[in-house]
Amino acid sequence: MSDVVRFTNGYLALPDGTAVKADLYISSSTGKIISGQASFYTSHLPPARVIDLGGNILSPGFIDVQINGAFGVDFSELDVDAGDGGEGAYVEGLEKVAKRIVATGCTSLVPTVITQKEELYSKLLRLLQPRSTPQGAHMLGYHAEGPFLHPHRRGAHSSALLMTAAPSSVPSSPTSPTFTPIQSPLEVVERVYGKASLDQPGVKLITLAPDVEGVMDCVANLSGRGVTVSIGHSDAALEVAVEAVEKGARMITHLFNAMPPIHHRDPGVIGLLGHPLPSSRPYFGLIVDGLHSHPNTVRIAYSAHKDGCVVVTDAQSPLDPMLEDGLHNWRPGVMFRKKGDAVYARQYSRADGSCCPLNTCLHNLSTYASIPLPEALLAATYRPAQMLGGPIARRKGQLKEGFDADLVVLGWDGTVVSTWIMGEEVYTAPSGQVGSGLSLKDTAS
Amino acid sequence: MRLTVRDTKEEVGNYIAEYIVKRINSFKASKEKPHFVLGLPTGSSPLPVYKRIVKLHEEGKVSFKNVITFNMDEYVGIPRDHPESYHTFMFKHFFSLIDIDPKNTHLLDGNAEDLYKECEDYEAAIKAVGGIDLFLGGIGADGHIAFNEPGSSLTSRTRIKTLAYETILDNCRFFNNDLSAVPRMALTVGVQTVMDAREVVLVVTGQNKALALSQMIEGGVNHMVTASALQTHPWALVVCDEDATNELRVKTVKYFKSIERVQDEVEAKYGSATSSRLGLHKATAAVVQQLYIISRVQRRI
Repeated sequence: MSDVVRFTNGYLALPDGTAVKADLYISSSTGKIISGQASFYTSHLPPARVIDLGGNILSPGFIDVQINGAFGVDFSELDVDAGDGGEGAYVEGLEKVAKRIVATGCTSLVPTVITQKEELYSKLLRLLQPRSTPQGAHMLGYHAEGPFLHPHRRGAHSSALLMTAAPSSVPSSPTSPTFTPIQSPLEVVERVYGKASLDQPGVKLITLAPDVEGVMDCVANLSGRGVTVSIGHSDAALEVAVEAVEKGARMITHLFNAMPPIHHRDPGVIGLLGHPLPSSRPYFGLIVDGLHSHPNTVRIAYSAHKDGCVVVTDAQSPLDPMLEDGLHNWRPGVMFRKKGDAVYARQYSRADGSCCPLNTCLHNLSTYASIPLPEALLAATYRPAQMLGGPIARRKGQLKEGFDADLVVLGWDGTVVSTWIMGEEVYTAPSGQVGSGLSLKDTAS
Repeated sequence: MRLTVRDTKEEVGNYIAEYIVKRINSFKASKEKPHFVLGLPTGSSPLPVYKRIVKLHEEGKVSFKNVITFNMDEYVGIPRDHPESYHTFMFKHFFSLIDIDPKNTHLLDGNAEDLYKECEDYEAAIKAVGGIDLFLGGIGADGHIAFNEPGSSLTSRTRIKTLAYETILDNCRFFNNDLSAVPRMALTVGVQTVMDAREVVLVVTGQNKALALSQMIEGGVNHMVTASALQTHPWALVVCDEDATNELRVKTVKYFKSIERVQDEVEAKYGSATSSRLGLHKATAAVVQQLYIISRVQRRI
C-alpha cells in the first residue's frame, strides 16, 4: 500500500524566497519529504493521496523560537507544591499547546522561560527536552530568557529575580554541608541552569545581556557546548555587543525591544546589523505584531540585514486565535485585556505581551517590508532552522528531500489552510476558510 | 504516410493529443490484450502534446489505467534523477500528472550493469505486451528518429548508440555548457522497433525541422534521414506546423491538405475509429486521392 502523498497545483516556498509551481511528495509513514520520481520508478508507488493546493503556498512548517505560552498555558509556571513537583501539569500544558498551536502554521517551537526563581531553572529546562506529541508541534528544546539580564532593560521581567554572573552574587552558606565556593562566572551560570540542562540534547537557546557582570566570560563556553546565545534585555554599547558576537553569540532577542534605541554615535546592540562583515551580523528576532515595533522600524531592520530576520511571536499565554477580546484572567490576581493581537496588563502600557499568531506576523512582515509572502516565510522557516543549526538545520525549514514533512499550506493572504507534521495532516481550516489561492490560469509553466 | 498541417505548434499538440486520446478511448480491452501500448518520445516538440493530454485527463476525458508506455531512449551514465534525464522529463511532464500505474511505464535504464541485456530485455518486454499500438515520435534537425542518427540501419533494434558530435554540442546547453558532462552514449529503440508499431505519429514543429521534413517526405528512403523509413510504414501520420513546411514544395503541402479533407469526410460518414477497419490506413496516397475525387464527383451529382 502506498504511503505517498502528493501536493500539487500550488506553489512551493523555496529557501531563496521565491515560490515555484511544482509538486511535493512526502511519505506519511516515514514522515519525510521524498523524491516523487524515485518512488514512482523505483518502488512503483503512485501517490495514495493527492492534495490539491488550489493555488495556495506550500511552506515548510513555521518554527517559533520565542514563545512564552499560549492557550492559557504559561511555560514559565511550574507548580512546585503539587505532588509530582508540578511535572504532570506542566507536561500536560506543553501537549495542549503542541496540539493547538498548529492552527497558526507553527510546527516547531522553542518554549521560552522568562526570568524565574533560580531554583526553578534546572527543573523547567529538564522538562523542556525535545518532545513530540502525536498530532502536535515539536518542542525543540528551551529558550531561557534570563536571569542574566540588564536591570535597566528588564521589560516585564521581575527585577528581584535578575542576576549577575559575578561569583560574589550567589549567596551561599559556608555552613551548608554541600558548600563549594563559587570561583567563576561560568560556575554561576552552570549553577543556575544546571550543568545537565546546558548539555542536554535539543535546542538550548539563552538570552543574556553581555554587559551584565561576568556574562561575557561565559559566552564562548556556552556557544562551544551547543548553546545558541542570544543578546537581549541589554544596555550594551556596540563594542560590547560585537565582542559577544565574536565569542559566538548568534542572535539578538526581539530587536528594538528591551534595548536602548539606536543612537547615531553609539548604535548599541542594534548597531550589529550594520557590521561591515555580513558574516558577523547576527540573526535577530522581531515581533511583527505591529505594536512592538512600528512597521517602518520593521522595514528599516529588514532592509539593513534581511538575511538575519527571524520572526518570533513572543506570545504569552493568552495567545489563542479563538479567544474573544476583553478581560481575562492571566496569572493569579492579574487580569489582562485582550484587544486584537495585543495584551495589556497595565493601565497605560503600550503592550505587555503579544498574542499575534505567527502566520499573521509573517503576513505583517510581508506588508511592512514590501516583500512577497514567500520571502517573508523564510523568517520563520529557513532562517530559524539555520540559526539553531545542528540537526534542526539538517531536518527542518526547507522543502527538501530527506527533510521532515512538517508543512503548512498557506493562502496568499497568510491564512493557514492546513498544517502537517511528520507527514500527517494535523490541522485543517474549517470549510469556507480556504485561503486565497492564486488563479492558476495565467501561470502556465 | 499522411501529413497534417496546423498553424502553430500548440495546435499541432492539441491535434495529436486528441488523436491519441481518441485511440485510447476507442481501444477495446480483451483478455488477450488488456492494455493499449503507447510509444513515447521526449524533447521540446512533444511538450504541447503532453500538456494537452494532461488537460484532457484532468477534465476526465481519458484515463491511463489500461495504458502501457515505452519510451524511445535514455542517456547512458547520467543519474536517473538528473534534471536532463528522460526519466525526469517523463515524470515531470507526463507520468506524475496522469493516473498511469508506475509498473506500466517503461524506460531504458542507462545505468544498467549490462547495457546489451537491457536492450534485449526491452525488445522482449515490447513483444510480451503484444507490440506497440501507437508510437509517438519527433524528428531531429538531421531527420533522425529516436537516437537513430544519420547512417543508422533502417532495420536496427534497441541498442547502444554513440551520439553524433553535433548532438553532443547541441546538448551542451543542458549541462552547464560543460562538454565533458554531456553524455556521449544513449540507449535507443531502433528504426525497426518504431516501424513495428501498428501506427506511428510524428510531431514536427519549427523552422529548424523544415529541411528534415522535406527530406523525409519528398526525398527517398535513406539511412542518412532515418525518419524517411516511415514512407514504407502502412499507417504513419506526420503532424507539423506551418513553420516546418517551409522547405516542402507548395504542391506537396496542398496535396496533403486535400487528403485531410477526405479523411474528415470518411470519418464523418463511417465514424472516427473506422478508418483502420476500412483499411484506409493502408491506403496509398493514390487511393486516397481517388477517394477524394470520387467524393467531389458525388457532391457535384
